Amino acid sequence: MLLRMAKPAISGALCAAVRPRLALSAPRAQPIAALSTSSIKSATALERQSSTGQQLTASGKARREVPLPSQEKKEGAMQYVLTTLDQVTNWARQSSLWPMTFGLACCALEMMHLSTPRYDQDRLGIIFRASPRQSDVMIVAGTLTNKMAPALRQVYDQMPDPRWVISMGSCANGGGYYHYSYSVVRGCDRIVPVDIYVPGCPPTSEALMYGIFQLQKKMRHTRITRMWYRR
Amino acid sequence: MSTLSRTLGYLRRIGFKEYGHQMQYIGDTKAGTLIGTDRYGNKYYENMEEELPLRTRWVDYKQAEYDPSQIEPGWHGWISYLVDSPPTADKVMQTGVRSWELPEHRPNLTLSRGAFKTYSTTRPKYSAWTPVAAPR
Repeated sequence: MLLRMAKPAISGALCAAVRPRLALSAPRAQPIAALSTSSIKSATALERQSSTGQQLTASGKARREVPLPSQEKKEGAMQYVLTTLDQVTNWARQSSLWPMTFGLACCALEMMHLSTPRYDQDRLGIIFRASPRQSDVMIVAGTLTNKMAPALRQVYDQMPDPRWVISMGSCANGGGYYHYSYSVVRGCDRIVPVDIYVPGCPPTSEALMYGIFQLQKKMRHTRITRMWYRR
Repeated sequence: MSTLSRTLGYLRRIGFKEYGHQMQYIGDTKAGTLIGTDRYGNKYYENMEEELPLRTRWVDYKQAEYDPSQIEPGWHGWISYLVDSPPTADKVMQTGVRSWELPEHRPNLTLSRGAFKTYSTTRPKYSAWTPVAAPR
């Protein structure tokens, strides 16, 4: 997906780079272009040129092409080894997620539906654990009140590394309906670091499942040993 | 896999190469008719006669890093059993025919650099303060 999204931007940049050079090199022998008195003003940011012919971004700085993390090439045997190690580890992590169920409100119903036969989270290797010491993911499902917040933080602290947090529903995302209440935490990301936010009030089970797929994707792209090697 | 005999029958029809591909992508062995391909390149299949309910329509994603948001809206409706006819037969469900549509299908950009970031253009209704804890 990253590769695909990068393609239009790069091709656009290439076009913008090629066009002025062609215009400069071609002799001014086109009468139709000479008839036009107004200069062409393109709306795209890519077309902006400085006086030296260098391309500028919308903010006026010099344009710099940066490869996406997925476009970075592997160099040398060590990178291949580390990438394979990472892939094995990430595969193991993503295919046996054990969530800690932090069901606080009606979102927990949808979380329960995910475990029932219609969506059947067991086929994804997801088994609910009641103990934080045995779980990898905490699904915060529901309104987090001020009174519950220390408990949430304690449960999060009891989870072993690596750990992830899915914030499920608008109450956990940012307070939601109870945002202006005196007794509600305005988003569980004020208490714990959140990886995936699932919007909805409550989100459907499909939405939560999609969030879990996004978390698996995030795990797949985690560079564990590669980051360790870089240090 | 619903039954072993059904899986073996499908395997005989699709061959080992497609079998491996399907096990990588959808984790199942299926054979059916190709209904259509969307602009993104995903292929959509259907087998109404032999498959179990809610397993009769499936998608063969173009990318290995697949995501359900890569499915176009019209095809999403078809594959979710909202409509009977696919976008190839239904003009209403087609994409790319309306003037206000995006020129290309845009999947969910979460976890990429194009991800959505929240912003607010209104004045906040309350002002936060830094609490000072009194020593006990």
